[in-house]
Amino acid sequence: MQNGVSNGMTVIAKGVKVEGDFDSQGDVMIEGQVNGHVSTNGLLTVGNEARLKADVSAANAVIAGDLEGTVNVSGRLELKSTAKIQGDVTCETAIVEAGAALNGKFMVGQVKTPSTTRQNEAKNASKES
Amino acid sequence: MRHGNYAFIYDDFLNDRKFERVLSEVDAKLASLDLTGRVGRLTLFRNARDIVQSLVQDGDTTVVVVGNDRTLDKVLWFLPDMQVTMAYIPVGPPTNVASLLGIPIGAGACDVLSARLIEWLDVGRLDDRYFLSEISLLNTNAAIEVEGRYRISPYKGGSIFIRNLGSLTETKPEWANAKDGLLEVLIKPVEEKGGVGLFRKSEAPVTKLFLSSGSIVSDQPVEIKADYYTANGMQFSIGVEPKKLRFVTGRNRRISPEGEGLQKVRHDANLTGI
Repeated sequence: MQNGVSNGMTVIAKGVKVEGDFDSQGDVMIEGQVNGHVSTNGLLTVGNEARLKADVSAANAVIAGDLEGTVNVSGRLELKSTAKIQGDVTCETAIVEAGAALNGKFMVGQVKTPSTTRQNEAKNASKES
Repeated sequence: MRHGNYAFIYDDFLNDRKFERVLSEVDAKLASLDLTGRVGRLTLFRNARDIVQSLVQDGDTTVVVVGNDRTLDKVLWFLPDMQVTMAYIPVGPPTNVASLLGIPIGAGACDVLSARLIEWLDVGRLDDRYFLSEISLLNTNAAIEVEGRYRISPYKGGSIFIRNLGSLTETKPEWANAKDGLLEVLIKPVEEKGGVGLFRKSEAPVTKLFLSSGSIVSDQPVEIKADYYTANGMQFSIGVEPKKLRFVTGRNRRISPEGEGLQKVRHDANLTGI
């Protein structure tokens, strides 16, 4: 197990660097540096001093810092005015503050998760039969 | 009412005359509660494990450590493997563990022993050695690697604390959840100096995460402390053994959110005069 479930939020504070695949359960707050991959089934908060060179996936996310990589959010994504993203962004719903910078594709709605894709394929197959 | 056998382990520092009074109070209280058993005394030249093994009889044995947190450390490295219940009568500093477990200092601890509120606690592991409270690395550039998946480190140096029960190094004890099967990792980067007086920067932000196993790695030899045990090296494995140790705790214990809740209920009851 990498990061376990506990009552506390996972915090990567300023002055700390993470390298590799950082998978977590629960809410994650990042103010430091991450190189690699970040995923969580909770809320991901990227603070305005955070520097991520990482592909990220989360249930919900609030991004205020620099992020280089793809962003995949199954629920709500909030981009703060200080956010700078280089990479494609996919989410179900989005709130974008004036001043947020995005260099990449921005796809809102119709997030395809593996489970929903499989369910749709199964429905289609049953209709055809 | 007695429950099984008791084995009392007294630390050798208690031979100092300044502990005579508190020890006589403890002994009187134990006798009044009919808590008696075999007695062993730790000495400089005898292995603690040999002493404890000679006292532990077949059946339900409670090993009662009389001393301080350092005394606990002298037996904790082997006691979790002995299938016994552990209890603690703190009589002198340091007593942070007693505070975290809700055990009063001196004769009051005998009431806790008599009440026999037993908790199954997780026990941390540093290589092959058990620890109860925390691992600490001060002023280090070491990193924590988690199952080869990721590596986390303070990039300008800092201190790393890996807690099971709680803090020993802080002036005010800070508790961690010793019943969740996880270790709590805290990384405190070096504080950046700036400003004076009221404009001085507040405490450095703290990184916090949870893990069940991993390793500590460093390019240079580092000093690491697990409770009161110190080791030097460049790589250490860390882990946690869930529900490994049965411990007699006080009602004011702070070992899990449930324990904290119990403390709040008790506080409310006091307020309303219940």
